[in-house]
Amino acid sequence: MSELGVVRRVLAYLVLLAVTFLICFPLIWAFSTSIKGPKEVMATPPRLIPTEATAANYRNLITGKEQYFRADQAYVPTTAAPQHFIAWFTNSLIVSGSSTLISIVISTLAAYSITRFRYWGRRIIPYFSLLGYMIPSIILVFPLFLVMAQLSLTNSLWSLTFGYVSITLPFSMWLLWAFFRGIPIELEEAAMIDGASRLRVFVDIVLPSALPGIIAAAIFSLIVSWNDFLFARVFINSIENLPLTVGVMHFFEGVHVDWGLMMASAVLMTVPMAILFMLMQRHLVAGFGAGAVKG
Amino acid sequence: MSPSTDWRVADNRIGILFIVPFVVAALVFMVYPVLESVRLAFYQHNPLNPDASVFVGLENFRTIFDDPLFWQSFRQAAIWTGCSIVLQTVIGVLLALLLHLPLRGISVFRGLLLFPYIVPTVVIALILQWMLNPDIGVVNWSLRGAGLIDESIYWLATPNMAMLSTIMLNVWKYTPFVTICVLARLQTIPLELYDAAKVDGAGPLRRFLDITLPQLAEVLVVVVIFRTIWTFNKFEEIYLLTKGGPGTSTFNLAIYSFEQSVASLKMGVGAATGVVMMLLLFAGSLVYMRVFRFASEEAE
Repeated sequence: MSELGVVRRVLAYLVLLAVTFLICFPLIWAFSTSIKGPKEVMATPPRLIPTEATAANYRNLITGKEQYFRADQAYVPTTAAPQHFIAWFTNSLIVSGSSTLISIVISTLAAYSITRFRYWGRRIIPYFSLLGYMIPSIILVFPLFLVMAQLSLTNSLWSLTFGYVSITLPFSMWLLWAFFRGIPIELEEAAMIDGASRLRVFVDIVLPSALPGIIAAAIFSLIVSWNDFLFARVFINSIENLPLTVGVMHFFEGVHVDWGLMMASAVLMTVPMAILFMLMQRHLVAGFGAGAVKG
Repeated sequence: MSPSTDWRVADNRIGILFIVPFVVAALVFMVYPVLESVRLAFYQHNPLNPDASVFVGLENFRTIFDDPLFWQSFRQAAIWTGCSIVLQTVIGVLLALLLHLPLRGISVFRGLLLFPYIVPTVVIALILQWMLNPDIGVVNWSLRGAGLIDESIYWLATPNMAMLSTIMLNVWKYTPFVTICVLARLQTIPLELYDAAKVDGAGPLRRFLDITLPQLAEVLVVVVIFRTIWTFNKFEEIYLLTKGGPGTSTFNLAIYSFEQSVASLKMGVGAATGVVMMLLLFAGSLVYMRVFRFASEEAE
């Protein structure tokens, strides 16, 4: 494309900066609120840079200390004591990690199978998966709840793990199928003619070349399960077994909403995803290219 | 028989072994729930008293079709989806064109664009509730500071504003999806097309309408269909911000189904709503496949 004039270039950068601002501002604002003291959170007009920064909200979430607020004359507990935050955080990590692991193992094996072997019905599997990942969670959640009840798994982290497999498996399958199809088969055939066993070939040749696809599928799977609210809302009813997404909603209960605490938990909830995002950005874009995006 | 077909037949058993976990998981966690929800749609089912499940035929469907709230939810879902998709597509394409420009540091912006996609819906919903707080929220105070409003806007407490707020959330989170897809396609348009048009004296707008837009048509149709299907069925983006309120003014079918199952304990009615949503989804998928086949035939 041709060179741009100076005026147009400046204009383009201005628009890009405005877009960047719109993308980043909510999280910047959340962070700013999270490091304000209780008085300054409620102060008007609100300021971006706190006059007095404090880490109290983060400390309280991490140590699980109960917070108190001055309401009229008496001291009353705030909305919800943050003592479960670390448990929620751990639950989220366990559940999204284990469901991603299960989905990826199952779909990697399946993708290898349907692209390298011939048997009846293998062709419909990718299309079945595509259909599966269009089905919204709201349709799956209640029947799955009944399945979990029959297996006596409700209110356990297992129910969430399996629940998330039902949403992450179809699109991992679709993405990995597209990816495996693109890996040339000649190298494998040559190795096998040289006497390497099927399993050797799978581990030494296929897995390394499929790694970018596997990573992309894993990232999307982690994002989806870390972000879920609906399954956890329906499956889990004891407060200590909740993942973060449903847990933090308990901060709304009570007379007084502690926005500082709330914004600190919003920031902490984003941190693992932001780290993943920074480390894996390249693969994420590759995944978008392969069309494996659940939105 | 060639040696390659030989080993294919010999170890086909491994192939079957590798597909078994997928088939089992798909049957238990995908096929069964879908079939079960279709079955439930014909039953009266209270989750607190599962033994008293009664077959009621089409009664649940009659209930929802007679319920004004169902039709209201349907209408609101259509408005919500329509507005979100138009905004996402227009903004998404403009952004993609901008990010396609040969500017220094553009890859930093491209990377940043994916950020909203990884932010949990819960997080952005919490932050928006805080920013849109009528008395102490930053949005009202900024508007007031700029002299645009005199009185507080009750963003989440008035029906129209609540609808607008949920649309804003949706556009914020999913416009990047459109941009990434369009940008990927833009990068494959041969530059010679533009050079030829320039020689013919076509201006930037002409070049966009005559070259870029037709090239983007296919990816746009696919993206719009996919986004429409997903947006129409979204639950969390609305529920977490407004709970469907104020009143029922931001209900869509997903929230209607959820409320029937959870609040009213009528799982059958909730499931019947789900079946209607699935039928709409299949209709959408058929359109998609038609277009897809049409597009690939065009390409050949």
